[in-house]
This record gives sequence, structure tokens and C-alpha cells, in this order.
Amino acid sequence: MLEFIAQNMAPIMFASLIIFLLLGYPVAFALAANGLFFFAIGVELAPYSGGEITLFWPLLGALPDRFWGVMSNDTLLAIPFFTFMGLILERSGMAEDLLDTVGQLFGPIRGGLAYAVILVGALLAATTGVVAASVISMGLISLPIMLRYGYDRRVASGVIAASGTLAQIIPPSLVLIVLADQLGKSVGDMYAGAIVPGMVLTGLYMLYVFGLTVLYPKSAPALPLEARTLGSGVVSFIVMAVIVIALTWLLEHFLVPSQGDNAGILATSAGILAAYFIAVADKVSGFNILSRLTQQVIIVLIPPLALIFLVLGTIFLGIATPTEGGAMGAVGALVLALSKRRLSFDLLKQALAATTRLSSFVMFILIGARVFSLTFYGVNGHLWVEHLLINLPGGQLGFLIVVNILVFILAFFLDFFELAFIIVPLLGPVAEKLGIDLIWFGVLLGINMQTSFMHPPFGFALFYLRSVAAKVPYIDKITKLRTEPVTTAQIYWGAVPFVIIQVIMVCLAIAFPQMIMRYKGDAETNKGSIEMQLPDIGKNSTKPMGTGNTPGLELAPLGMPDTKKPATPAAPDLSQPPKFN
Amino acid sequence: MAALLTLSRLIDATTEFIGKAVSWLVLAAVLVSAGNAIVRKVFDTSSNAWLEAQWYLFGAVFFLAAAYTLKQNEHIRIDIFYGSRSKQTQDRIELFGLLFFLMPFCLLMLWLLVPYTLEAFHSGEMSAAAGGLILWPSKALILGGFVLLTIQGVSEIIKRIAIMNGLMDDPNPHLASHAPLDMAPEVKGDNHA
Repeated sequence: MLEFIAQNMAPIMFASLIIFLLLGYPVAFALAANGLFFFAIGVELAPYSGGEITLFWPLLGALPDRFWGVMSNDTLLAIPFFTFMGLILERSGMAEDLLDTVGQLFGPIRGGLAYAVILVGALLAATTGVVAASVISMGLISLPIMLRYGYDRRVASGVIAASGTLAQIIPPSLVLIVLADQLGKSVGDMYAGAIVPGMVLTGLYMLYVFGLTVLYPKSAPALPLEARTLGSGVVSFIVMAVIVIALTWLLEHFLVPSQGDNAGILATSAGILAAYFIAVADKVSGFNILSRLTQQVIIVLIPPLALIFLVLGTIFLGIATPTEGGAMGAVGALVLALSKRRLSFDLLKQALAATTRLSSFVMFILIGARVFSLTFYGVNGHLWVEHLLINLPGGQLGFLIVVNILVFILAFFLDFFELAFIIVPLLGPVAEKLGIDLIWFGVLLGINMQTSFMHPPFGFALFYLRSVAAKVPYIDKITKLRTEPVTTAQIYWGAVPFVIIQVIMVCLAIAFPQMIMRYKGDAETNKGSIEMQLPDIGKNSTKPMGTGNTPGLELAPLGMPDTKKPATPAAPDLSQPPKFN
Repeated sequence: MAALLTLSRLIDATTEFIGKAVSWLVLAAVLVSAGNAIVRKVFDTSSNAWLEAQWYLFGAVFFLAAAYTLKQNEHIRIDIFYGSRSKQTQDRIELFGLLFFLMPFCLLMLWLLVPYTLEAFHSGEMSAAAGGLILWPSKALILGGFVLLTIQGVSEIIKRIAIMNGLMDDPNPHLASHAPLDMAPEVKGDNHA
């Protein structure tokens, strides 16, 4: 009996972890307690295990150093920075301004408000990694307007909840930072890999709304004339857009010889800045050549776009590390809020306190996970997981499908932090052994984990939306009509199509890894050379970013012989996406 | 019990004060990190001490605020089972968790961290990076975090027992899911009125 337990410690430990967690005590401490409990059992049973268990009391002394390692990790610093930045922007009314203006821009077309919510959701996502804030502000601002003008309640709530979760996958998202850290990859690469899938996903959401407006025009009607407060004037907007795009295009061609790859980003920044100055000059000078709508759209849209470029642009150009980018972004957000005269001492204090609490609970899950993994590796748990997964039929594809189904199911009741800290470190080494690119793998998981926010009935985005949506009938401020509340069932049903879209997106990302592999930039074009994932010192500051917390994930140090090079020509090339056909 | 509740209030006030005070270090970390980035770009130089100061500050934030986060009931939990239980069962789970999950972990860590920090202090160990900071304060932060977490755990146990005996109301009753990260409670109010 003792031998049986001793030799099957890993599965027993994992099964009881599920019970520990389901009990409902905070995850961080349940993880730690599980780790310590099985550490004690493991030490006692070690003699019976036939070498399976390598635990002994003095090993506990490794814990302080493991915690210290968590603390001295530069990568994770980006978490409070991006959280703080998002909270400041949110609270300084950026979401309101954006929704009002973009809503006016798209209002005249069918489904316009829904498009506006999706676009603003994507824009907010690109400035923050926080889902809650986006969903709450969109639920407060857009939901009443959508209901006022006759949107189907399920469509309205589904669009808002789903668009809010875009913050998970569009850089600079927190989940990507955590995934990069856990997979031992650079956050910059993870961001670069996620940007195209993020945009494709936004496109899919819009396509869904478009399909709805074709099939059920009444579910998402256009704004009536009296609701278009900024008037029309779309023509001048289109003219302006064409001018800016032409300018950008010309500049890019002009800059390519001197700036190479960076030309695109530089030219776009210049084009956007030009538009901003034209609009401001037009407004201040009183010429008003542009329509009011155009002025307003440009003036409201450009500062956040500029901030996005400041943060993501500098990260992608390799000028700043994600941590530095986050800090610059946070400073930028403070400056924006100050210039709008919306930065109060109280606001700052609240944003700091909220950032502190979020950082604390996230980092303590990681601390708990470090205790858990000390024991789990000591009972050879990683080998157990590897044996379970590596022999799945279908090789890489089989592994990806099984893992994604697993994560999809776990996402029903686990939060992404829990998934990222508990599940991902177990899956990462197996994926690497199978020759799966870890950035690709991470982005896939990121898209998949986004569903953890949308799954009825536990999705957090739905919960946030519920907390701000009307629960009782109310009298609309504008139309003075009695408006029915949004029922919980409507919120649930509204989320279902978006969960399905999410699944489609995961399949797309598996089928077309090129979307993600772009992060390698030129490396993709000169194939043939076996190129390894080295910590790109040039891109990062003084320290390599991938801190390789997870045993077995250490990156090959620069200058060392490439030990991971495939031993035989037949072995899979680790750096290239697998081809399925 | 009254004396214990006074003790608990004292602990709560202390951890809340410290938690809110260290939250300003987030701002300091933002400014230091942005400053580092600019200095690195503009002057093409960097100081390891300032680079290390970034995570010193962040470490201080999350370790020292852990007790405050516990007090605010914001360490996230999986509430698929917990959320649907009666208040009485939730209280029992809470007390069980405090006594058998949180406290053993905290006490063990104190036992390990005291010698760990003292050793760093006596050896005057410096960071491995050239021009880096001295190490023991960062280790002392971990110790400080666990000291606060332990005394907060004591306060939570006192409060939980008082709640179960009807001596006080639950200051942070469990919501359907962990509270949204909204910064101000007013968003929960109905704005349609």
C-alpha cells in the first residue's frame, strides 16, 4: 500500500490539488498548503518509492531563495505598470470619450454601435491588460445606448463582454507577460506573436456583427438621425483618412532605405501626428474645414493611439523592454490624464491601491505555485505529465488539440492566472520536446484562456457586466420610455456565439501558425538555417528577459554550442512551425 | 473575546496602513523604471543599482501588501463550489483554510526566513551585478511580508470566530465571484435611475 502511494505520488498530489483548490480557499495559499502537505508525506514515503521521490527535509530551505527569485524578476514588473496605466486611462475618462466619438462615427450604419464597442474594446486592450475596467466602462456607457435604440439584449451584452476580453490577447496583456515568463520566452516576442491573432480576432467579432445585421437587421439597428449629436460629415473624415494613409505610405517608402524594418512604424507615427496637428489647428484657428465629427474623432482618437505607439511601438522596435515600455506608458497615461485635468489625488490613490492589490494576489499565486512545484518536481510530477502527453496520437497536432480541449474545459472554472501558473509550466516542457514553438504555443493558450472570461456561468467578464447592467426596469433618460432590464440569461446567451468564435480562432491559429511566427521577423524569410531561440540581448536591457523559471526551459546561453540542435536531419526543426497537410 | 477583537482591529489598521502606504511605491517604481529607460537611451549608460531598485520597490509592494489584500478578501479563489454554499459552510471553510492552509505556510516561512535574512545581513552579501545593491533589505522584505501575513492571519481567525458566533458582521462577505477590480464602488450603483 505504502509502495503504491509512494510510486504514484504525482497523480495523487495533482488530484488532491484539485480538491484543495475547489474547496474555495484563496488559490495562493491552497497551492502552498498542498505543496507542503505532500512534501511532508513525500519525505516520509521516499524510502518506499524506489527512487521516484527525491524529497528530504533540508530541501525546504530552498523556498526563501525561490521566493527571492520571484521578486527579482524584471519581467513581472510589467504587470503593475500596465495595470496602473490601464486604470489611470480608464478613470480619466478615455473609454467614455472613445465610445462617444467612435459610436457617432459608426452610428449611422447598421450594427454601428456594436462595431464601435468592438473597436474601442480593441483600442482599450492595446493600452491596458485589464479586462474588468473595459467591460465595466463599456457596460456603463454603451449598454444603455444600445438598449435605447433597440439592440437585441443578447447581442449588446455579448459584444460588450467579448470586446472587453480582447485585453487578454492584444498586447500589452498581462496574460502574455505571465505566459512568456512561465514558458521562459521573451515578452517582446510573445507580444509580437500575439498582435496579428489579436487583430484577426477583432475582425472575426466584427464579421459576426456584420452577419447578424444581414440576417437579423432588427437585432442591431443604426442610430436614428436625432441621436447623431456630432452631425454627419463622414466625407471629410474619409478624405482625411485617405490623406493620412497616402502620407504614411509615401513616408514609409522614403524611410525604408535608411530605417529598414522600422520604417513602417515610424511612418505611421508621423502620419498620425500630422492628422492630429491638422485637426487641432483646424479647430483652434476656427477655419473648420473639417467637419465637427472628423475633428472630434481625430482629437479623441489620436492621444490613445499615440500612447499605444509609444508603448507597443518602442517594444516592437526593440527600443524598450516590455517593462520599460510599461513604465513609459504609465507615465504617458499620467500625462494624458493631467492634460485633460482629470487626474485627482483621489484617483491616483485609488489606482495605486487597486494596482497594489492586483499585484499582490497575482504574485502570491506565483509564490504558492513555487511551493507546489518544489514538491511536484520532487515526486517526478513533470515526468508523469510528460509521459501522459508525449505519447498522444497525432504528434504535435494531437498534443495541441488535447491540450486546448483541456484548457478550454479548465477555463470554465479556473481563472487565467491559475491556468498560467499551475498548468502552463507542466505543459511547456512537453510542447518543447515535441518541437512546438513556445511563442506559438503561448499565444494559442492565450486565445483559449480568453474564454475563461466568457464561459457562462462563471466568466468574469459576464460577472462584471452583470454588476453594471440594469437589474430592474428603468426609465430611459432620453426617450422617457420604460426600458426592460437585461436578464442574466440574456448575458449568458449573448456570450455563447463569442465563445464559439474563440474556438474558431484557436483552430485558425493552429492551422495558420504564420500569423504568430511573424514575431521572428526576417528569420522567416531566410529559412534553412537552423535558428535557435536565444535571449536577444540587443532587444532587451542589461538582463535577458526570459528568466526561465521552469526547470527544463532554460535557454541556451549565447555563445555556447547549440546543444538543442537536432541530432539527426530527420529530427524536427524546433524553430519552424509544423506543417499540417 | 472583546480584547481579542481589539487586537484584531489593531492588526487590521496596521496592515491596511502599510498596504496603502506601500502602494505609493508603485508610482516610485514607475518613475524609476521610466527614468532608467530614458537614461539608458539618451546617455547610453545604466546603473545596476537603479535597475535593481525597480524590483526592490515592486517586491516591497506585493510582499508588504499581501496582508492588506488578505484583509480586503481579494486573494482570488475558485468559487465554483464555495460560492454556492451556505454562509455557515463558507465560514467553516474559511476557518479551516486559515488554520490549516495559511497559518502552517506562514509559520514555516517565518522559521525559514529569519535565519535566511540574518545570514544575508551578517555576511553583508551584495548583489552579483556590478554596482548592485546590498541584498539583505530585499530578503528582509520577504520576511516582513510574511510577518504581516501571519499577524493578519491571526486577526482573520479572531474575526472569523466572532462572525461564526454572531458577534460581528462579515466585513467582506463573499460575492458571486471575486470582486471586480474596479477601483471605486460607485460603478456598482445603478446609473440608470
